[in-house]
Amino acid sequence: MSILFSGRAASGAATHKIGFVRHFVMFWVNHLRQALASLGELWRTPSASLLTIGVLGVSLTLPVTLHLLVKNMQQISDSFTQAAEISLFIKQDSSQTQIDSLKTILQADAAIARVTHISKQQALAEFAAVSGFGPALDYLTENPLPDVLLVLPKNTQAEAARALLNRLNKERIVEYGKLDIDWLTRLDAIVSLLQQAVAVIALLLLGAVVLIIGNTIRLSIMNKKDEIEVMKLVGATDAFIQRPFLYSGVWYGVFGGLLAYLIVETMLVWLQGAILSVTALYGSEFRLMSLSVAEFFALMLLAVLLGLAGSYLSVRRHISAIEPTGP
Amino acid sequence: MLEFDQVSKSYAGGFVALDRVSFKLEKGEMAFLTGHSGAGKSTLLKLISLIERPSVSRVLINDVDLSRIRRKHIPFVRRDIGIIFQNHRLLMNHTVFDNVALPLVIEGFSGKDMVKRVHAALDKVGLLDKARCLPQTLSGGEQQRVGIARAVVNKPPLLLADEPTGNLDPDLSKDIMRVFEAFNQVGVSVLVATHDLGLVARMKYRTLTLKQGKMINDGLLQYQEDPL
Repeated sequence: MSILFSGRAASGAATHKIGFVRHFVMFWVNHLRQALASLGELWRTPSASLLTIGVLGVSLTLPVTLHLLVKNMQQISDSFTQAAEISLFIKQDSSQTQIDSLKTILQADAAIARVTHISKQQALAEFAAVSGFGPALDYLTENPLPDVLLVLPKNTQAEAARALLNRLNKERIVEYGKLDIDWLTRLDAIVSLLQQAVAVIALLLLGAVVLIIGNTIRLSIMNKKDEIEVMKLVGATDAFIQRPFLYSGVWYGVFGGLLAYLIVETMLVWLQGAILSVTALYGSEFRLMSLSVAEFFALMLLAVLLGLAGSYLSVRRHISAIEPTGP
Repeated sequence: MLEFDQVSKSYAGGFVALDRVSFKLEKGEMAFLTGHSGAGKSTLLKLISLIERPSVSRVLINDVDLSRIRRKHIPFVRRDIGIIFQNHRLLMNHTVFDNVALPLVIEGFSGKDMVKRVHAALDKVGLLDKARCLPQTLSGGEQQRVGIARAVVNKPPLLLADEPTGNLDPDLSKDIMRVFEAFNQVGVSVLVATHDLGLVARMKYRTLTLKQGKMINDGLLQYQEDPL
């Protein structure tokens, strides 16, 4: 389209008669070509590109590591769901029928995952076996231990478990219920503190990544000032000029994200050995969890978006500021 | 087609680069713009290519007032104007082909269509065999011709040249001018700024002369080379 020369409209490529499909295909082919050209540009300045990618990778590594730390902490705390188990001690004078009907009621309760009945006899047998008082217990004329219903709440978080305990305490045949909850509350508090710390640190680092990429792109715009002036003089729009720089930002993101992933995985392999020797001493089966596939893609997406954001900020400011100064 | 209507341009600090300049360039006309350095030749070309805006009055192309063109439309105006620079301003790390193809790529050409046009433009300036070379490996005159090929590759109706023969010896200058003549003969309007008065006088085209920002001559230049 020509603004000044009405008869010239037919000379532009945009007015060529090409079909929609071909237009669509060419659009993507052009973008792919420009993306590859930007990649080539990074390849031609390896030292600068590697530095930026390195900074980016390391900056992303820390939030990812912290995320994994929180994730593994949660795994540990999840494995202690038994701690949220509520023990209901049944009154001595309750009949077997009453206990069975309470058990049936509780099993139907939507907030409860599982109910286990430990009868007096089982409890005594277990106590005799574990405590070592076996022969002494034989002298008891009657069994002093109460029936116990072990209730596992569906929601094992401290607050929910406590609410459930309060409700169950009101049952008629329940002497009292017990929930060892304090340390669970503490663990929850620590995990949520960690999560928030991770969020703050991650935000700071991600901000740094945007600035770093923005600055790198700014430098490469300054390096190409002459070229940009020439392009503007032969009629390039700002959008056309900024596209390769945006692609550079994307590539920085891709490589930075991959680098962060590699660093984290290497670190995990290294730590796994040390952790194995600790857990072996405790007879535990704990395994470090690494990034899942979804998390890997989230990391890459985040890195690419950050790269794009950094280069966009830079490109917006600096490309329109470059104006040709003369023929 | 191109019209200056009492146009003045002064820069910050009060320097008056153009003082009430008026002229018209018709479609398909070829003209020279001469004057000493600092007389305002470059400023005049900058007003046409929208690098600068006039301080007073307006520049019209096909009755479109250039001062009414908004910033985001400037690139589209420049696609209609081929500009040739004194220092040719080629992209030194790209091949001759890429340099010439640049305006076409910007306009969205690709594939065979683009290659055909680039080759046609290079053929016109006689550099078809150098398409794969880097500009550094070419001589000054050849580089200038690459610049011309780039300016004409998308067949602009108006061609501006700023001192295109500035660094060239007389024979090469003559060659370059022949190239401009050839484009003019196929209907392109050409405005060439130069201080090479001898060349201008021999070419017998309309000549606009600027002196300290004022237009002091519009017509054929009467110029005799000093006998040695």
